[in-house]
Amino acid sequence: MENLRTDVLVVGAGPAGSMTAKWAAKNGAKVLLLEKRQEIGSPVRCGEGISKSWLADVGITPSAKWINVEVEGARIYAPNEKCLEINEKHAGNEVGFVIERDGFDKALAIDAANAGADLLLKTAATGVIKENGRIVGIKAKRSGEAFEIRAPVTIGADGFESQIGRWAGIPTNLALRDMDSCLQYRMANVDCDVRYCDFYLGKVAPGGYVWIFPKADGLANVGIGVQLSQIKTHAEARKYLDDWIAKHPAYAKGKKIDIVGGGVSIAAPLKQTVTDGFMLVGDAARMIDPLTGGGIANGCIAGKICGEVAAQAVQLGTPTKEFFQAYERGWRGKIEEKLYRNWLAKEKLCSLSDETFNKVVDALQDVKLEKLTVHNILKAVREKYPEVTKEFAAFL
Amino acid sequence: MVNKKLLHIESSGQLCIYCGACVGVCPLNCIYLDETRITFDEKICTRCDICVKACPVGAIEIG
Repeated sequence: MENLRTDVLVVGAGPAGSMTAKWAAKNGAKVLLLEKRQEIGSPVRCGEGISKSWLADVGITPSAKWINVEVEGARIYAPNEKCLEINEKHAGNEVGFVIERDGFDKALAIDAANAGADLLLKTAATGVIKENGRIVGIKAKRSGEAFEIRAPVTIGADGFESQIGRWAGIPTNLALRDMDSCLQYRMANVDCDVRYCDFYLGKVAPGGYVWIFPKADGLANVGIGVQLSQIKTHAEARKYLDDWIAKHPAYAKGKKIDIVGGGVSIAAPLKQTVTDGFMLVGDAARMIDPLTGGGIANGCIAGKICGEVAAQAVQLGTPTKEFFQAYERGWRGKIEEKLYRNWLAKEKLCSLSDETFNKVVDALQDVKLEKLTVHNILKAVREKYPEVTKEFAAFL
Repeated sequence: MVNKKLLHIESSGQLCIYCGACVGVCPLNCIYLDETRITFDEKICTRCDICVKACPVGAIEIG
């Protein structure tokens, strides 16, 4: 395999990588998008629930090719299984579609290809190439053969287990409390309500939640996230999930047709996502929302900015850490505040007892929430259970 | 049965689902994931146990 050259090298063809590749190509750069697997979009460990409001901003048109269900809202279940229904008007930002990542990821990669990006499958990065302290490309492997790819701009979009950021010198390691170990079964033959995404809170999923995301025709994603700092032995994600399913007949009757798992970062925003010749985007840059575990929207929003800045850097001949501050300012301007706020909320929620969760959900039952914000929720809780809100005083 | 390996990832298909959770959490970056395999560097591993806990399906044992 001969060595290659390009302008913008994107490592990883998930949503963030494809979005970066598309917008870099649209802005005139020669782009090469790599994917270590032989297929894009599968298998993908993902609950497959996304909100809708951001899609148009990054140029994604909703399509029946990858939408399974358009949900009306969310149901939050307290540990005592009292349910809080939040319909779309209030939760619009957080629920929307349950999608098929297989089709979604492929559609985004096709968009990138149509914009002019080249793609290479079954090609993994094995290291970075540095010259005078600057990243000038990667060492790669394809079907067992080693070769090099050089580019003025290299972008790490290689997901949760990203190695390329660390090779480039950007610290992305996580504290135990900033990570959830997650497992999900796609199950057939379950009884669920296709109008809602369901979230079960409390000790059934310490430092995380059980989710049911319906996919129509008796199919649903049934998954769990458990905070690593609360795990004592091994395989606890599976134990907690299997336990929960066994206690819920609507799902105990389900048949597993798919198993995916992985780590999800629930971390505060990284201090740094760029260095000379290199930028990090998506899950690799720890952009997953610490409260919801959702990473697609943030990865795509940041990906568009990353692609645009990458193309500019190529054009101007300035692929430097300093120039890439435009990307830092861009993505932080859009999502950093929410990420940080949600991290604070997650830190609090991960320590709540089942009793407190029950009170919070109970307090919200009687209230017409104008808008589902942390602030409004806490206001409502304060009216009924003032002692609980003492714990959240910092937020009010 | 004595397991002489420092770290054993049951990746022969029985347990490991190649999700990469272990790769992401290793504080010493000694676990690698490429096209189809998970491997690790025994020289660096300190048996901290984090990967064992992170694995959602319990495929990792430390010998």
